[in-house]
Parts: sequence; structure tokens; C-alpha cells
Amino acid sequence: MASNLALFTAARLRDGVVTLVLVTLVIFLLGHVVGNPAQVMAPVDAKPEDIARLAAQLGLDRPLPERLVSYFGGLLRGDFGTSLWQDRPALTVVLEALPATILLTLAGLVVAGLLGTILGMLAGALPDSPLDRVANFVSVAALSVPHFWLGLLLIVVFAVQLRAVPTSGFTSWQSLILPVATLGLVHGARVFQLVRSATFEEMTKPYTMVARSKGLPERIVLWKHVLRNTGVVIATTIGWEYVRMMGGAAFTIEVVFAWPGIGLLTITAASRQDFPVLQAAVIIAGAFVIATNLLVDLLYGLFDTRLRAA
Amino acid sequence: MATLETPLSRVEPRLAPAGMGAWIANASVYVWAGFLVVAALIAITGTLFAPYDPTSQNVIARLLPPLSESRRGFHWLGTDPLGRDLLSAILAGTRLSLFIGIASTGVGMAIGVSFGMWAGYFGGWVDRVIMRLSEAQTAMPMFLVAIFFLIVLGPSVLNMLIILPALVWPVFARIVRAETLRLRDQSFIEAAVAAGRTPGAILWSHILPNVAPRIVVLAVIEVGHVMLAEAGLSFLGVGIQPPDSTWGLLIARGRPYLAVAPWLAIMPGLFLALTVLALNMLSRRYAAVSGSAG
Repeated sequence: MASNLALFTAARLRDGVVTLVLVTLVIFLLGHVVGNPAQVMAPVDAKPEDIARLAAQLGLDRPLPERLVSYFGGLLRGDFGTSLWQDRPALTVVLEALPATILLTLAGLVVAGLLGTILGMLAGALPDSPLDRVANFVSVAALSVPHFWLGLLLIVVFAVQLRAVPTSGFTSWQSLILPVATLGLVHGARVFQLVRSATFEEMTKPYTMVARSKGLPERIVLWKHVLRNTGVVIATTIGWEYVRMMGGAAFTIEVVFAWPGIGLLTITAASRQDFPVLQAAVIIAGAFVIATNLLVDLLYGLFDTRLRAA
Repeated sequence: MATLETPLSRVEPRLAPAGMGAWIANASVYVWAGFLVVAALIAITGTLFAPYDPTSQNVIARLLPPLSESRRGFHWLGTDPLGRDLLSAILAGTRLSLFIGIASTGVGMAIGVSFGMWAGYFGGWVDRVIMRLSEAQTAMPMFLVAIFFLIVLGPSVLNMLIILPALVWPVFARIVRAETLRLRDQSFIEAAVAAGRTPGAILWSHILPNVAPRIVVLAVIEVGHVMLAEAGLSFLGVGIQPPDSTWGLLIARGRPYLAVAPWLAIMPGLFLALTVLALNMLSRRYAAVSGSAG
């Protein structure tokens, strides 16, 4: 007799695999059916017959089903083609860039999570207070500005004017400060919004009144009792935020700060017309996002007592 | 934490705060709305009121800081490396920035609302397929797919108008489906069915007007999201290309001069940020007043 948790896990795993197959299929359709890799790789002034010759060289003149099979066959074997620009397997090039992205996004997530959770709980516990109003406005503002523009602003203030930190690249731990601050602010803002409303709602529930009537100080009520009940929601929110970060802001932020991760690699590959690396980068980053998504869902299931009990 | 109020004395965060707070809240609505009206007028009139032709160069007066004067006259926001007036360039970029935001959201909304009403009203396999699709898309890194799409197909306004609606339709579909499901079993819909009205007529004249308020709030927020996405794609070099111009592209073009002329990247971003902020503030206010959660 399978438990609910096992069923839940199996269903989520299936969904994750389906999404991954869908993403790779969409990439194939966009790249090979709507677009033409030879067109991307050929010089801008290439004649149609040159492009056709290149396509034949790359095996792109074969029938579509055959190409689809060899595409998925390649993916399963970890063969994403060879980088035109570096003359190495595209997968190797992409996997080398992945750790830098993971380092940046995890650091950004820690800042976003701490900032959003602490301020969100205080604001939710003190509705309409000056702290609540200021933090609320700042968070709406942070969600309204373009991420990369906020990054540029921080560069102008802290690197160009104050010369406090390096402008870009990855030379020392100080290189992390500005990109992590940008990611932390933007994503912390959304964490803040959700934690604030969750805390506010929780603070009106009867059990908090019971806790207070026992004479417990507010800080115990807030940081022990309320946090215990909102913890799963907060953890899930932060997990979701990581998914958003990986699939979006991390790309523009890496370009702003010349951070040598997978986002910068994608854009560089595009400008160098390196289709294999471009395709591999999008698929690997996509797979990473889907895997993170799945992990968040599974952890949520683990903490959900309704699923665990049965 | 001694300052915390007890739950009994605590009131809900007021929707319409009294006194000074109410005055500020109401005044801010007019300020944000006024900002958007001005932006819309600029978008419609184009460069009619721009102080200079945004393409006219004057190399002697290059990289002037804001509030400086050249032989041609006054430059409120300074000039770029070719001596072109930055304010004029920003005004010229307003039209396409707003157009892409509004048009993409409009198309995505039309698709999402139609799918959502269909899925919610008829249920069955159509419902399952549509919802599955929207779920899968939410789990996908769509910004990445958009980048890939634009690199492979080439950056253009048309391709932006194809890929950006694809990013927003699931949000509309999910909310409209849930609302439609809730409305479907209500007596006024049953009465319409009993009166022999066709499903199409019921969806159009009974369901749609009832989901409209929530769609409006959502659409206003999504215009902001789409404008940010457009700016991001244009910044990465895969979005709008010169001679077309948007605020996002202006930021990208100002970036190399960050150390010598930071205003070139900062000013267009400020216009974009204020526009999106205005949209967000107004939709929050509308949601608070009308009582519908944005």
C-alpha cells in the first residue's frame, strides 16, 4: 500500500520529467524547425548556398524525425555537439560555467531569504507602523525597477563613485557583494510581501491569543509560535524565489557584472554564433530550474503533515 | 517587542486610512495616474514636444551632464556620446516601450481569458490540456526560452510581440478559470442556461463582466512585468534593435559610459522604473478599494 507521500513524490517526479522533455522539445522545435542552426552559425553575409552547404555538413539536411531522434539520443548520451568558438564539447563549456552561477544565486537567495523573512515578520506583526509602511514601499519599488538597472545603479554609486568594491568580473569575494546585493534586494522584496501577509494572518489566529494570555512575551509568540506555523510557507516561497532567480534575473545580473556564469555564457555564445553552446546552456539551465522546482515541491510534501500521516 | 499591540486592539490594515494618511493615499493616486497620463500622451504625440530631434548629432556637445547648456540650447538630461539630447531620446523611446508592454499584455490577456473561461466552463479534456500546459509553462524557465527564441529567430518588434504574450497568458488563464468555475454554479448562470442562452452568450455577457475587475487589476500589473521583460531582453541585446528605440535599449546603450556619463544608463531606467511603479501602486490601490485581491 503506497503512502500518500510516495504517490505525491511519484506524481511530482513524473511532472518534472514531462516538463524537462517539453522544454527540450520546445528548444528543438524553435532551433531546428522554426529556426535554422546553420543560419545562426553562418557569417552574417553568407550566401544561401553557403548556408545550405554548412547545413549539410552538420547533418541538418536529413529528414526531421531522424534529426529529432539523433537530438534526443545526443542529449541522453550527454552529447550537445562541439563548441564552434572553443572547439570543445559544448556540455563541458556549459558545466564549467554552472558553479559560478550556483554560487551567485545561492548567495543572493540567502540574502533575499533573511532580508525578506525578518522584515516581513516584523512588518506583519506591526501593521501600519512606520517600519511596515517604509518596508512595504521599498519592496514595491524594488519589484518595479529593472533588475539590471538596479545593478548598474549600485555600480555607479559603490564602484565608480565610492570605489568601495570592484565593478565587475570574478576576482575576489568582494566581486560577489554588488551582484548578491542586487539579487537579494529584488528577490527579498517578493519574499517580504508574502511573509508579511502570512505573518499578519497568523497573528490574528486564536492560538496567538492563547500564547499571549499565558504571559508569553510578543517576541516569543512571533519568533517561536508564529514562525513555526508560517515556516513551511516561507521555506516554499524562498524555494520558488530561487527558481525565479535562476530562470530570469540571474541572466541579466551576470551580464551587468560580467559574472562568468551560465547567463553570461549564453549571451556570449549568441554573439559568437555558437549554436551548440547556446542550445546546451539553455537546456542545462532549464534542467537546473526544473530540478530545483521539483526539489522545492518534494520538500514541501515532506513537511505537509496531511501527506506524511497517511 | 514590547510595543506590539495585542490582537484585540489590533485593527485590519485599513483599506482607506483616515486623516492625513487618507489624504496622502488619495493624493498619491492622482500623482501616479498623472504620471501615466503624461507618459501616454508622450507615446501618442511622439517627439512633437521633444526639445530636439533625438537623432540630430552635435559631437562638440557630447556627454554633457544633465542640466547643462550647449550652443544649441539647454539639455535637461544631458547628451550622449554623439551629442544627441538624452531627454529627446527618452521621449522618443516612450512610444515603443509602452506599445510593446500594452500590446503584448493585450494579446496574452485575450488568449488567457478565452482559454480560462473555456476550461472553467466546459471542463473535461480541454480543461485538463489547457491547465496542464499553463502549469508546465510556469515550471519552465520561460525567460530563457524567450532569449533562445529571439536569438534563433532574430530580434525584432514582431518577434517580441510573439514571445512576450506567451509569457503572460498562463496567469490570466488560471485566475479566469478559477473565477469561471466559481460562477458557473451560481443561480444567475443557471437561470441563463434555463432561458436557453447559448454557452457563448453566457460566457460573453454573464461570465466575462464578472471576471473583468480581477482581469483589469492583473492586466495593469502584467503590463509592468512585460515592460520589464522587454527591457531585460533589449538590455541583453536580443530585444529591440536600433533604429527602433525603447527605454531598455537606451539603458543598454548607456552602459559602456557608466564611469564617465552614468546618466545615460540611469535616466532611461528611471523613466521605466517610475512607469512600472505607477502601474503597481495604482493596481494595489484599486485592489484595496474594490476589495478584490490583485
